[in-house]
Amino acid sequence: MSADGLAISVHGLTKTYGRLVAVDHIDMSIPTGSIFGLLGPNGAGKTTTIKLLTGITDITDGSATVAGFDVRREPMSVKQRVGWVAAEVILDDDLSGWENLWLQAQLQRLSDWKGRADQLLKYFELSDRRKDKVGTYSTGMRKKMEIALALLHEPEVIFMDEPTIGLDANVRRMLWDLITGVNRSFGVTVLLTSHYIEEADALCDRVAIIDQGRIVVTGSPSELKSRVKEDFIELETSESVTQEKLAAIPGVSEVRSQGRAWVLRVASAEEVLPAVFHALKTDGIRRINVEKPSLESVFIDITGKRIDQGGSDVPDYRKFYANLRRAQR
Amino acid sequence: MSTAAPTVSLPTDVVRSPATRTGQLQQFWGLFARELIKTFRNPWVIVITLVQPFMWLAFFGGMMSELPTAELDTFLLHAPPGTSYLSFLLPGVLATGMMSIGMFGSMSTIQDKRFGFMKRILITPTSKATVYLAKALGAAMRGLVQIPVMIVAALAFGVQLHGDPLGWLAWIVGLVLLGLGFAAFFLAITASSTDWQTPGVISNFITMPLMFASGAMFPTAIYPSWMRAIADVNPVGYSAALSRDVMTFNQFTVTDLTYLGYLAIFAAAMVLIGTLVASRYLRVE
Ligand SMILES: Nc1ncnc2c1ncn2[C@@H]1O[C@H](COP(=O)(O)OP(=O)(O)O)[C@@H](O)[C@H]1O
Ligand SMILES: [Mg+2]
Repeated sequence: MSADGLAISVHGLTKTYGRLVAVDHIDMSIPTGSIFGLLGPNGAGKTTTIKLLTGITDITDGSATVAGFDVRREPMSVKQRVGWVAAEVILDDDLSGWENLWLQAQLQRLSDWKGRADQLLKYFELSDRRKDKVGTYSTGMRKKMEIALALLHEPEVIFMDEPTIGLDANVRRMLWDLITGVNRSFGVTVLLTSHYIEEADALCDRVAIIDQGRIVVTGSPSELKSRVKEDFIELETSESVTQEKLAAIPGVSEVRSQGRAWVLRVASAEEVLPAVFHALKTDGIRRINVEKPSLESVFIDITGKRIDQGGSDVPDYRKFYANLRRAQR
Repeated sequence: MSTAAPTVSLPTDVVRSPATRTGQLQQFWGLFARELIKTFRNPWVIVITLVQPFMWLAFFGGMMSELPTAELDTFLLHAPPGTSYLSFLLPGVLATGMMSIGMFGSMSTIQDKRFGFMKRILITPTSKATVYLAKALGAAMRGLVQIPVMIVAALAFGVQLHGDPLGWLAWIVGLVLLGLGFAAFFLAITASSTDWQTPGVISNFITMPLMFASGAMFPTAIYPSWMRAIADVNPVGYSAALSRDVMTFNQFTVTDLTYLGYLAIFAAAMVLIGTLVASRYLRVE
């Protein structure tokens, strides 16, 4: 732990791959013991940031201190104090769960690790499968095994890259409980990345929203949400419509184009939607989506795009409108 | 899978007990043992490692054994009467086999990069040099599997083996050094590669010339001078000559010790260069 109470502190951190700037002068201060979320769409630079902070990839420019050590000057001291949970779950499938733990203990140069490994297996409910090859584990078990590996050497900071990506809703909830549990019972600082809004909202003390390598805004989820008071309506039509036509709809305060879609800023979506449907009756609405104040709408507010591209697309606007009315009652 | 919150919580003394840290040897041992475990758990690895030299003996040796005795005598210069070409070939095949194990060491490294396991290793305080050395030595050890099987196969083919224990020790150490040298060499040139094909291409490129320009298959006396020049520096030839002296001709001499010395220098040079190269160029992205 560093004297300033920060587990991670980053200044002007930059990484370029050829001409591509994957991480672009980011600054972050993450207090010890907190859960910090890096929220952003695919390709925003989240994984690259983790690679830089763990010393796997060379820093192009800027500086980073993790667990009290400068990543550039003392990478080994940092590596000794951090754990890592990969988005894609990286384990040696030919080895058993226990052998994976054994290898991790060798690589972290631990001598007195077996008791702790036992405890971790119990904590993650993996004890009875410890002798089986991890290749035979379920997706959720593999994820838990990976977290157990990351915790074996008592890290001060743990990096979790998209911890719940590809997991079904049940397992995701369970992991959320585990992540908060790990943070509380182990006192570990957690830096997690995600492109799921609800995840960052549910877990993180503070969130930085990242887009195209740049941090666009930082704050607690409630602070961020209070930035945006209006709703957004996103829509796509099969006929081409003009910006003027959309701006003329009563209640629409701003119109932005986003590729083939439009983003309308409105005070209250429920009140404006009938007028939108009326105005676009002959234009064939193909997709429409309402964003109430949320981290997603913060992102839309700043970048004009959605974070989670696989969001709640509604191809049939009639059904959508019916649902919306039902929800209002 | 149960979705209930975990019921077991960790006692605080376990959570915060100071972890004792020991030396780098522990990291090396972990990675080296992993190589061995993975090799010996994969039946195909074993089968291919074993069958390949055996096929050499069967096909090449079988073909050559049918040559008229007069021609064979050229090959078996100075051999005791009744020595078969197979017994001449066996040491050569073992030496040649050590060249291809280098390729396997490279492939397992590339696999670790591709599946991301290299990231898992390098996110711990393990140096790239340690990773490299574990891979190189792991590959060399894998080559040792060939030795007992080849000997059994040769005996089954009716080859008579000689040699005193000291000679045999020198010969086996020589093979390990040869394997280590080639593994180190392969790993060095593929340090920054993530392409499955690279080790195979390199292997094809160097194995054939080094095999023929070595005296592993034929006596160098029958070579043109340019091939003999290659053979003079080719470690495969020195390993083959050493084992041939021990096993076939039953004459372990000071010359053989110089062969062993040459192999040791070859291995040491390759490992040294490779360690430097890998510390710089071993990459995960
Ligand atoms: N090794 C690499 N070489 C070249 N470009 C890369 C490499 N790794 C990542 N990138 C690029 O950097 C950008 C950020 O990637 P990444 O950090 O993986 O995004 P995220 O994790 O937020 O989805 C992307 O445009 C990606 O294509
Ligand atoms: Mg990523």
